[in-house]
Amino acid sequence: MSIRGKTAIVGIGETPVDRLGRRPGERRRTIPEYLTWAARLAMEDAGLTRKDFDGQGLAAIYTTNYLQPFWPEETASILGIAPALSMANANGGAATVSALGQAAAAIEAGLVERVLCVAASCTFVENHNGVEPRDVRDHEVPYGLMGANSGIALVMRRHMHQYGTTLDALGNIAVTARYHASLNPNSYLKKPMTLEDYKTSRMVADPVRLLDCVMPANGGKAFILTSAEKAASMPRKPVYLLGFGEQDNPSYGPRTHSDATIMGIKDAGARAFGMAGATPADMDFAELYDDYVVIELMQIEDLGFCEKGDTKFFESTDFSFKGTLPIQTGGGMINCGQPSTAGGMIHILEAVTQLRGDGGERQVANARTGIVTGLGGLPYGKNLGSTAVAILSNETGHSNG
Amino acid sequence: MAEAQTEPRRPLPEITELTAPFWQATREGRLVMQRCRACGELVWCPRPSCVVCGGEELEWDQLSGRGTVYSFTIIRQLAGRGARAFEKDIPYVIAWVDLEEGPRYYTNIVDCPVDNVEIGMEVEVVFDPVSDDISLPKFKPRDA
Repeated sequence: MSIRGKTAIVGIGETPVDRLGRRPGERRRTIPEYLTWAARLAMEDAGLTRKDFDGQGLAAIYTTNYLQPFWPEETASILGIAPALSMANANGGAATVSALGQAAAAIEAGLVERVLCVAASCTFVENHNGVEPRDVRDHEVPYGLMGANSGIALVMRRHMHQYGTTLDALGNIAVTARYHASLNPNSYLKKPMTLEDYKTSRMVADPVRLLDCVMPANGGKAFILTSAEKAASMPRKPVYLLGFGEQDNPSYGPRTHSDATIMGIKDAGARAFGMAGATPADMDFAELYDDYVVIELMQIEDLGFCEKGDTKFFESTDFSFKGTLPIQTGGGMINCGQPSTAGGMIHILEAVTQLRGDGGERQVANARTGIVTGLGGLPYGKNLGSTAVAILSNETGHSNG
Repeated sequence: MAEAQTEPRRPLPEITELTAPFWQATREGRLVMQRCRACGELVWCPRPSCVVCGGEELEWDQLSGRGTVYSFTIIRQLAGRGARAFEKDIPYVIAWVDLEEGPRYYTNIVDCPVDNVEIGMEVEVVFDPVSDDISLPKFKPRDA
């Protein structure tokens, strides 16, 4: 049994993002406000109301800065709904894509007819519980770990050393994403950026530069998934889930000398492609989890869009919405802001926007099928700890070619 | 920063039943890790059982303290929670050191100009007594 094509996204909601609350006393919205706002937008989009979610599914994404053990129940309480199934998704930036697969399985199994997946965060101001995995807290933080910058810098340096990866290769991705952001009314960073801007931006954790990094923000996002059967009679064009795969705690190569340049997305992607009966060549676009530019590059390799370490491919490929491999068609999280773990949902929402044909100036022509990824966690001594992949399409029975 | 602020405290590891032998050894200037009696594999970070075979008899084994740099970063700017405690150290090097016996160790490279650190550099352990209880294993170039 497979969940291939059995469910569809029928509503999306995305609040504007801001960066308020960095200065003491600055007025800003709270997580409950963003949750409510995003859920309402998704329900309006789907032609549903809160009542339609009593006795249905709720996927509540844990936000790293508001962690408490009853988060799904609190979310339900904030929204005023009484779910019959609640999921607590907690794999950081992988959580929303992971939730998509789990929600589809719950619907296909008949537990519920529809699931609301909602996430919000206020990065600067909500209580930080100081939740770190013990390994990281005991054996990384005391050495002066600088958020995720230092961990990604280790991976990026190794990748550059092992494959000769150039700033031109990385910069092509960064510049294209910013170009797409300039065409997206909902993006945050719109000012055009040149390759030279990328290559000369300030070093923060050498070789990671300022323009490699995602930017924390406040905001909320939501989507609604239902069965393909129900989706057929709903107002918006359904976007079907054709493939899903996840891989957690991966490592490659010898156990004690693993290759940090390979990611779990390799296996998560293979599972998702396998379920969908598709290959990278079938993808009309890719929306890749982008906490750092090098992580986008590594995903393109490990998902099989090119050979590992093919620097020339990255330097010469047109990644724009008009190009051969459109990526980050809305600008990605790097240009739209990262409201903690809610940030990862941006890729699902952009894929739905493209597959509905609502991409406006950045619309990929004749987009039928796209790939979406989520990544989370930086466990001790590794690159990303959790990876999830979804293949979405506006055709339920999409076949190769 | 304009306003006066107290010196931020450096984050320290928590010593537990499981990890006490590790921190005891570092205080004595020794780098140790758990070795599984059943399969012989080294286990790092500390675990209640072997992550390779599930064996529950793990004994602390002394390592040579030698390794090579697998990758590194030079920290130039503060970021994230608790970062300010390290402000005075900037620039400093965080590295992954592949130990002679296998495990990859997250650490600082010390006693070396930051611009001289490179992948493949041979290093050896030194112990930095950051508190009465904790001596952090750090690494310096072998020829330094």
